[in-house]
Amino acid sequence: MQPDDLVKALAPKLGPNLLAVEPFDGMAGRVRFKREGALDLFRAVRDDLTFTHLSMVGGIDWVDHREVFYVAWSDSARQYVLLSTDVPATDAHVETASSVWPSANWHERETWELVDITFDHHPDLRHLLTPDGYVFHPLLRSFKLHEPEELEVKSRHV
Amino acid sequence: MTTPSTQVMPPSKSAAAPDLPAPLAELPMASQAAVPFVEIETLRVKEFIPAAKEALTSLIAEQGQSKLIRPVFNWAGRNSLFPLHWGLACCAIEFAAGFGARWDAERFGVVPRSSPRQCDLMIVNGTVTWKVAHKLITLYEQMPEPKWVIAMGNCATGGGPFRTAYSVVPGVDKLVPVDVYIAGCPPRPEAMLDGILRLEQLIRERKE
Amino acid sequence: MSEMWINMGPQHPMTHGLWNLRVRIDGELILDADPEMGYLHRGIEKISEDRHYNEVITLMDRTCYVAGLAWEHLYVLASEKALHITPPERAEYIRMTCDELQRIGSHIMWYAAFVQDIGLMSPFLYGMRDRDLILDLFQSFTGARLTYEYMRVGGVRNDLPPTFTDQARKILDWLTDRFHEYDQLCMGSAIFRKRCDNLGVLKANDCIAHGITGPMLRSAGVKRDLRKDRPYSRYGSVDFDVAVADGADVTARYLVRMEEMRQSVRILRQTVDWLEKHPGPVMADHLPRWLGAPYAPVGREGYLLKRNYAKGVGFSSVEEPHGEAQAYVVNEGGEHPYRVKFRSPVFANLSAVRQYLVGYRVADIPPILGSVDVCVGEVDR
Repeated sequence: MQPDDLVKALAPKLGPNLLAVEPFDGMAGRVRFKREGALDLFRAVRDDLTFTHLSMVGGIDWVDHREVFYVAWSDSARQYVLLSTDVPATDAHVETASSVWPSANWHERETWELVDITFDHHPDLRHLLTPDGYVFHPLLRSFKLHEPEELEVKSRHV
Repeated sequence: MTTPSTQVMPPSKSAAAPDLPAPLAELPMASQAAVPFVEIETLRVKEFIPAAKEALTSLIAEQGQSKLIRPVFNWAGRNSLFPLHWGLACCAIEFAAGFGARWDAERFGVVPRSSPRQCDLMIVNGTVTWKVAHKLITLYEQMPEPKWVIAMGNCATGGGPFRTAYSVVPGVDKLVPVDVYIAGCPPRPEAMLDGILRLEQLIRERKE
Repeated sequence: MSEMWINMGPQHPMTHGLWNLRVRIDGELILDADPEMGYLHRGIEKISEDRHYNEVITLMDRTCYVAGLAWEHLYVLASEKALHITPPERAEYIRMTCDELQRIGSHIMWYAAFVQDIGLMSPFLYGMRDRDLILDLFQSFTGARLTYEYMRVGGVRNDLPPTFTDQARKILDWLTDRFHEYDQLCMGSAIFRKRCDNLGVLKANDCIAHGITGPMLRSAGVKRDLRKDRPYSRYGSVDFDVAVADGADVTARYLVRMEEMRQSVRILRQTVDWLEKHPGPVMADHLPRWLGAPYAPVGREGYLLKRNYAKGVGFSSVEEPHGEAQAYVVNEGGEHPYRVKFRSPVFANLSAVRQYLVGYRVADIPPILGSVDVCVGEVDR
């Protein structure tokens, strides 16, 4: 499957929400879309393009905006596809993919708690890896780690 | 001429002296009033027992605890250390290998137990995170006294390669008192056995 | 009336790792399951942003500690795509050898723990003893038993010693007999069959919907193996079969893993022969100078260095012993990666625990969880 095939299948379903389809090394292509067309895209990718297996959902913090990316696999075409969307940092939310692919459930929980991207209509958006009640979102660029020497001073007061 | 039936008697010291055998005749007791031999022995024993009792009690009170009872307890404790069957991270794989056939840890009496109530040793083998800290302290408190903790590996000693992480406790000694630290990432099973033997040496020298 | 939530963990002898399986039970029957992860969350992805590309490799060993070299391979493949570097062919074959040896070692470790939970005690000792032979082989060329730090971006750290070929062949011959013995101990045992048949069934479409890969998916009859479907390294030029079983239960997963071990031995014989015949370099020769010095301290904002290297994004996926692992490395032109994101196969396997645990009994939990082959380090990262 080539990027052109992806464009042909997705452009009618998404219309203006499909921003670009770029070639990506080792994959069918990289689909950039606007978050309004998320659910249409997921349905089209799963049903029309046979990418039935969603394997990864992740988030990246580019300080002025954040990016959510999805990686899906197709058994019939034996290929991956990469879907990515940009969300503004002040209003970081996107529709959940767990209604289309149940495997997105835990991945979206982890992306929310680490990169602070809310997934609308997620059935169970709570902490997975960080403790319950942890208020920080550690993988944001604004969250700084300590140097090892600083830790020794701080822990003397424990 | 003396007749054969005549017995030769030793000269008595006094007419009122009893029939005592020769060694006892020299004792000062010989000049006392007549008391039969058996009663004298009983009298001596009767005086001896309370004296002996008093001596033994003071001996046990001062030194028996440290010379008799404490060594037995130490011997029993160090030869039957039961660690908690608990693996946190990579060091747990070397901990499990230490119980395999090549480095048999059970020959030292070390048998992992599943419940902390039956353990006296907690080997912290892996990275301790803040999320598990409460559970680790609970497990430590569930162990009965006397109990020891071995920090196995760099993560348990001081955070290891993850020391700068936001979710990692920089060393388990921030949570529970540690007796032996084993360095390594991960320490070989021989190093773990060496750590257990050092703990046994510590227990051997335990005074109270 | 007697329903309650029970915590199995984080300290539990049967769950094999630091996680909490909360089950709602009614007597012995399981009604619901809700796993609680994160007890081993060490922030590896965050720490990697402060580390040089080659320093992240030390964290990869510790991510999945039973299959460290497979995760090193995963990260190194993604980094090489992001940095536009091609490793030499001998390095690729060495990496494949490491992967397959790691697969056998991981499956032996799984086997030892799994059958011990079911009640068979001796296979644990046999398995650990055989796994120690493989670790001796690793020690001969990497120098370590568990945390190897052997692969580098662009190749591997050093070449194999001259004793490697003989030692490897002896171990492969020994293991072939041992696998037969393992099978006899388990499949010939009526207790094992009774405890494992028709347990933890998860059919193929449920597996795919929940993102399950690896032996769990192949035990449901889906013939999917990344080494055949999307060959990475030089898997296209070695000859092997994919282990598939029907039944989707615990016994099927056991059979799949045993067959995978035999196929790994088959691949290893081919790679060891190739390595004997083709000497060569094990490190790429077109490495940039900054990549040749792995310990240059550059501080926290290392990714903003003023040098202008080509940017890139690298994605890689390997067939790890637990399933399909993926890495996504973002290179913004510095000495540190901007973002590394990993996908762990056990993460997906455990997210579906409600599907294959509900309806069975509490006594069935050890075989079912054992067949999932949990390694919590890679779930929590």
